[in-house]
Amino acid sequence: MRLSSLSVRNVWRNRLRALLTVLGIAVAIVAFVLLRTVLSAWTVGAEASAKDRLGTRNKVTFVVPLPKRYIETIRQVPGVVDASYASWFGGKDPRHENEFFASMAVETKTLFSVFDELVVPPADRERWLNNRKGALVGDVLAKKLGWKVGDTVTLQGSIYPGDWQFQIEGIYSSTRKVVDRSSFFFHWDYLNDSLPEGSPQRDRIGWVTTRIRDPLQAGAISQAIDRAFDEQEIQTLTMSERAMNLSFLGMVSAVLKAIDLVSLVILFIMMLILGNTIAMSTRERTREFGVMRAIGFLPHHIALAVLIEAIVIGGLGGGLGLVLSYPLVERGMGRFIEENMGSFFPYFRISEGTAVAALVLALLLGLSAGLLPAYRAARLNVIDSLRRAG
Amino acid sequence: MNSSPQASPSGSDRGAASDIAEHARPTTAESIISLRGVRKTYFRGKEPIHVLQDLDLEVPVGGYEALMGPSGSGKSTLLNLIAGLDRPSAGSLLVAGADLGAMSDSQLARWRANTIGFIFQAYNLMPVLTAVENVELPLLLTKLSASERKRRAQTALRIVGLEDRMHHYPRQLSGGQEQRVAIARAIVNDPQVLVADEPTGDLDRQSADEILTLLERMNRELHKTIIMVTHDPAAAERAHITRRLNKGQLI
Amino acid sequence: MIPIAYNLRSLAVRRTTTLASVLGIGLVVFVLAGALMLSAGIKQTLGRSGKSDIAIVLRKGSDAEMASSIESPTLGLILSAPGVKKDASGSPLGIGELLIVATMDKIGVDGVSNVQIRGVPEQVGRFRKGLQIVDGRAAQPGTDEVIIGQRLRGRFKGLDLGQSFDLRKNRPAKVVGVFAYEGSSHESEIWADIDTVRQAFGRAGLFSSVRVQLSSPSQFDAFEAVIEGDKALGLDALREDRYYEKQSEGTSIFVTGLGVVIAVIFSIGAMIGAMITMYASIASRSREIGTLRALGFSRPAIMISFLLEALALALSGGLLGIALSLCLGTVRFSMMNFASWSEIVFSFSPTPGILLSALVFAGLMGLFGGLFPALRATRISPLSAMRD
Repeated sequence: MRLSSLSVRNVWRNRLRALLTVLGIAVAIVAFVLLRTVLSAWTVGAEASAKDRLGTRNKVTFVVPLPKRYIETIRQVPGVVDASYASWFGGKDPRHENEFFASMAVETKTLFSVFDELVVPPADRERWLNNRKGALVGDVLAKKLGWKVGDTVTLQGSIYPGDWQFQIEGIYSSTRKVVDRSSFFFHWDYLNDSLPEGSPQRDRIGWVTTRIRDPLQAGAISQAIDRAFDEQEIQTLTMSERAMNLSFLGMVSAVLKAIDLVSLVILFIMMLILGNTIAMSTRERTREFGVMRAIGFLPHHIALAVLIEAIVIGGLGGGLGLVLSYPLVERGMGRFIEENMGSFFPYFRISEGTAVAALVLALLLGLSAGLLPAYRAARLNVIDSLRRAG
Repeated sequence: MNSSPQASPSGSDRGAASDIAEHARPTTAESIISLRGVRKTYFRGKEPIHVLQDLDLEVPVGGYEALMGPSGSGKSTLLNLIAGLDRPSAGSLLVAGADLGAMSDSQLARWRANTIGFIFQAYNLMPVLTAVENVELPLLLTKLSASERKRRAQTALRIVGLEDRMHHYPRQLSGGQEQRVAIARAIVNDPQVLVADEPTGDLDRQSADEILTLLERMNRELHKTIIMVTHDPAAAERAHITRRLNKGQLI
Repeated sequence: MIPIAYNLRSLAVRRTTTLASVLGIGLVVFVLAGALMLSAGIKQTLGRSGKSDIAIVLRKGSDAEMASSIESPTLGLILSAPGVKKDASGSPLGIGELLIVATMDKIGVDGVSNVQIRGVPEQVGRFRKGLQIVDGRAAQPGTDEVIIGQRLRGRFKGLDLGQSFDLRKNRPAKVVGVFAYEGSSHESEIWADIDTVRQAFGRAGLFSSVRVQLSSPSQFDAFEAVIEGDKALGLDALREDRYYEKQSEGTSIFVTGLGVVIAVIFSIGAMIGAMITMYASIASRSREIGTLRALGFSRPAIMISFLLEALALALSGGLLGIALSLCLGTVRFSMMNFASWSEIVFSFSPTPGILLSALVFAGLMGLFGGLFPALRATRISPLSAMRD
């Protein structure tokens, strides 16, 4: 027997209370894991963004596109391997009014060399490249809306008014988990050629994505691109994919901060529950501590015994919470969110960091929740605690 | 993390021994407990309460003494002082060669672990530990190996006649059995002095007699000096000497 | 019945435990009330922006003004539709505006964000009567002067009275005034001359939207029928309040959803906390409870007594949480509106309904958390009074 086994057995002494406390901590851990996963799912895009890609758009507003000729200039900039342009189409399937998905007109011949993570069966790829009205859609989107290769789909445009017809020619997936697999790509040429002669929207591109040779040169190349258009009517803003994603995060930073704050509140609540239990059980055992002190145990032995008890409960709760988190957060909510909010959360999974943090925090919180009761128990007056009944 | 107390820095026991030696002073060879002019004063608010007043007491090695007196007479305070749970307000207090009044809390704790065995009215066993584990508890403060601790705990239980209840929890034992486990716990580290606070107070007559017989054996066979506070005249009769306290003074 | 003072005193005796439970419940209520208040704030800000007797006309298929474009000549056609109110001089009340989203540098944090710039015609005040200049002066029509909504103030570089920012290269716009607009989302916008915006952003001859004042809300159907009836125009008409409701839907559902999910999970934790407290309180009082039973108090009386104790515990937590959440009243919460991809500043707006439901929520937590412990208390035998 060791002193620690005394602590462990004392945990189990009031079973109902131990069970409730462990459950309470487990619930708090589930909430914590959920919130941290929302946070990490939001930032995962930025963190996993390709290091060798830059994006170029209108410096002042993303609403106004760039002249198409800019693409040629960008391809000339030293260090650029390849560049591909695209325009935001913003279409909706009238049969699925409330389903939001990203629809974009893309330069087909460069798409796969710039976005090398896209995976499309070679036959589909050939067909799509050769069909001017062909569309390439993400597997998550295709599954959700029930589209198959060969289907004809009509999208209603808003920026480009009218009804637009497409044939689904290919379905893509991705080698990288963080890519939105609910996008709708089609030929930019089809869009442009359909616009009336003289339309201000003709020969305009929304943005340019560039692959560069050396990721370390990203800053210099971005500046070189922007300098090339400095004297033009429309100036550009070039950023690495990561910086672009981060600036999007900046727009929701208040939400992220609030979630962050709430996840801290959870930890505090957890500490209250745990501290409460430990305080109660040590109070009930005052006399036992008195006996131990009489026998010759020192205050730090008593404190240690209480702390071990708190850490054991914290660890049990943390472990249970983590075990519950996986089915709840990943199976239940994760699948729903990936399918329905894929453009915001393409990858809604518990990260290893979150899991480890939850467990470590549960243990640390156990420790800190036990500090005050441990201090009190250690400072008990031996004679008084022996005299006190119960 | 090694939570066992025996992991305390090596040499601490030697340290304790030398601490005790420092505070030692010559006593009459046959006295193990020696009180001279001991006074104990508590304060209730600003008002002093004199629990013990100028108390002198000598207990010889191997003595078995009963302390009797009405409640509030100071007998429990006296017992606490002898057991090193409390320090006198004035006077000198020597137990087993140590000057208790001059020792720090942690020195006292180490001293208690080596010198004193406690027996309480309410037994005070740990409910989550089995009988043998309860007896083993004080040995966690020593550097003995786990197997040696276990062997000694079993021996102590055999002495009190409970080897067949070794793995029972306190709630599975009768009051008399619980108190016997408590006595085994008190003797397991071979202390020189046993202090018993109303050891038969919660027991029926027959169990009480068994406990008293056991204490007698501890005194006679193991040569433990025993100080016992009791209300029970039958218990007091078994002691060599019965001392009576009233209003903080021996009469 | 057992006097409630008995329970209140026993809560007071176990101070630390009681305090821990109250604090736990308080935090849960705080989070719930905070989320509901923010959601209400979002609805309110965007709701104030819309009125039922104003119709907004957009390009068909556009969800937001930002994505819509209407050719200039169409304005006259829209204004001549039936149901449009006319002013004293007989001219129809309507306005065509151009909305652009511009990227601005934030102050305080490193990063950029999108801000809406609204190009308005000279006679904007004739239609938009709620406009109020709170600092500086109105912009000179036909110039590059702009006024900014008061909620934008001090949040972006160049956006404060007397400062300027670039509409495009070498074309600075000067901020000459700060306006209030009935607490609506317009207070997070920049207002500039429509021709300035058209030139600066290459949108010659275009509006984003046309708003008209209806002579009464019931006139909408007639107006809509004419606008949408002409397929060649390719336009949609919506009531303005409905338009803003749709704008706020995504964002407020997100906030409410997240808030409620968190609050529900939290409340399980808080209920467990209350349960632990109540069980301990009952366990340590079994002798007292036995005595009460021996004195002749019935099981239901014991049950009610302990439920009331749990309720008192939870309601104190609820009040604490509400008090905490009211402190959020001064906090400005800036977040992206998913519908327009631009930032709007919201505030937490406490309504009596939210405060009441938060309190009811706390009470329910207390009752559910106290139920099992109270049941246990009723099972304590009068004989416990006699035992040690």
